[in-house]
Amino acid sequence: MDFIIQNILNALQWGSFYALIALGYTLVYGVLRLINFAHGDVFMVGAYIAFFVSGFMLGDTLGLSPTVTFLCALPVTMILTSLVGVTLERIAYRPLRRKGAHRLYVVITALMCGLILEYSNLAVLGASRLKFPELIHKTVWNIGGVTVTNLKVIVIVTAVLVFLFLNFIVTRTKIGMAMRGISYDKFAIPLMGIPIDNIIVFTFILGSGFAGLAGLLFAMSYPILEPFMGMLIGWKAFIAAVVGGIGDIKGAFVGGFLLGFIEVGVVALPFLESTYRDLFAFTILLIILWIKPTGLFGMPQSTKI
Amino acid sequence: MSTPLLQIDDLYVKYGNIEALHGISFTVNQGEIVTLIGANGAGKSTTLMSIAQLPPPEAPRITKGDIKFKGESILGMGPDKIVSDLHMALVPEGRHIFGNLTVEENLKLATYSRKGGQAEIDRDYQRVYKLFPRLDERKKQRSESLSGGEQQMLAVGRALMSGCKVIMLDEPSMGLAPLLMYDMFRTLKELNEEGMTILLIEQNANLALKFAHRGYVIDTGEIVAQGPSDQLMEDPEVKKAYLGG
Repeated sequence: MDFIIQNILNALQWGSFYALIALGYTLVYGVLRLINFAHGDVFMVGAYIAFFVSGFMLGDTLGLSPTVTFLCALPVTMILTSLVGVTLERIAYRPLRRKGAHRLYVVITALMCGLILEYSNLAVLGASRLKFPELIHKTVWNIGGVTVTNLKVIVIVTAVLVFLFLNFIVTRTKIGMAMRGISYDKFAIPLMGIPIDNIIVFTFILGSGFAGLAGLLFAMSYPILEPFMGMLIGWKAFIAAVVGGIGDIKGAFVGGFLLGFIEVGVVALPFLESTYRDLFAFTILLIILWIKPTGLFGMPQSTKI
Repeated sequence: MSTPLLQIDDLYVKYGNIEALHGISFTVNQGEIVTLIGANGAGKSTTLMSIAQLPPPEAPRITKGDIKFKGESILGMGPDKIVSDLHMALVPEGRHIFGNLTVEENLKLATYSRKGGQAEIDRDYQRVYKLFPRLDERKKQRSESLSGGEQQMLAVGRALMSGCKVIMLDEPSMGLAPLLMYDMFRTLKELNEEGMTILLIEQNANLALKFAHRGYVIDTGEIVAQGPSDQLMEDPEVKKAYLGG
């Protein structure tokens, strides 16, 4: 029993990371019909931003305590990472959109941007790994044989709060309505007097801001940073978003947690080696897509325009 | 003569390398109903899209000429500014309602850039629901579940919610049963009597000329006839080509 609860907690933690990254893919896809393949690397940049921001705050100039550093680094990391996302949109995607380029070229551009982020990191900081400082004193609670760390609780609660927040934005606010409106009929948005670029920028702010949040929490949980850390987790989060139904926020979260559970579940099975993890996880996801190609919450793409 | 509200001045427009309008000029005065009639593909929708300044790839590219609002050029202004600053709204062909939003949300979205107070917006909601009681009944429904006629009402209602003073309509009668079509035109007439300026595109030239004060006939990207509606209706050429004898 303890063993099961322990694994559920682990699954929830990994699911939270996948969900927080997956929502960035899904938001941008919903609004632009663009698979932003640079998003996993925006997460990586977020982790590095968190590293430098925390280092600066802990350092001699400011000398903040680790807890205060965590509380300050959180918003600062999110803001700076969202600027990275907005910059990508401005210098890479928007010019193509203005020229009416085919979606394929925009997706290739996104892939390039991801590689540029990885290799500029490698070029500037070198191949050596960075060790993320401990910001929150690790407390381990032992509840009936199940060990729970405070960090794990923070990660899971954060993911839930982000989901509630986004759900509110998308269903209750005008800008959220505009985001949903664009996904259905992009042509009519300017006819409502809505500056379409503002909606797109807002979408990138949300997506990359939460990727930055994920970067910070991930670096705190697994404190080794390297330039390619966003690659695999980015791909996995993207797949989670597709399995959930890309374009749908609920789908991103359900897909993220589903992937977390499958991964942890496969490892937990006594007769399987842990090296089978990704193979089994992806096979299961493949089967889900085979049965429901639009993803769990996805609607068949509307044929309008 | 006073400056017209909207003046299209020797407009040339291209889609890619194909020229769609070859120097058309016309005016719309405050409070008027003006109609552009002509066959399918004559350049009517292109004209409205040019005025609304929709961005490519959907919209055409203006290569020569000018579009003036109250005497000032509005070229390069941006489609959202045309709505939010000049209060000109386009009800596009095919309606383009947001099917995944409810009727109420569609109307609310149109108020996105409005600068007036909430009281004014609430008054407009009342007006839209009074003009189109069907929309009131279906407020909470996803708008893709509406019938074609109701969707057209929603498209017009949405334009009104944007706070427009000029409304451009692209084939509002398309796909509507005759009864609904007359209802729609009666409502538009009512709006005009309250002060709304209307620029209407129609293939149904009979209906359009009965409704409008003045008309222009477009043929393959050029204006071939113009005048007050009753005169156009009597013009033998127009009669022969567009009014079925």
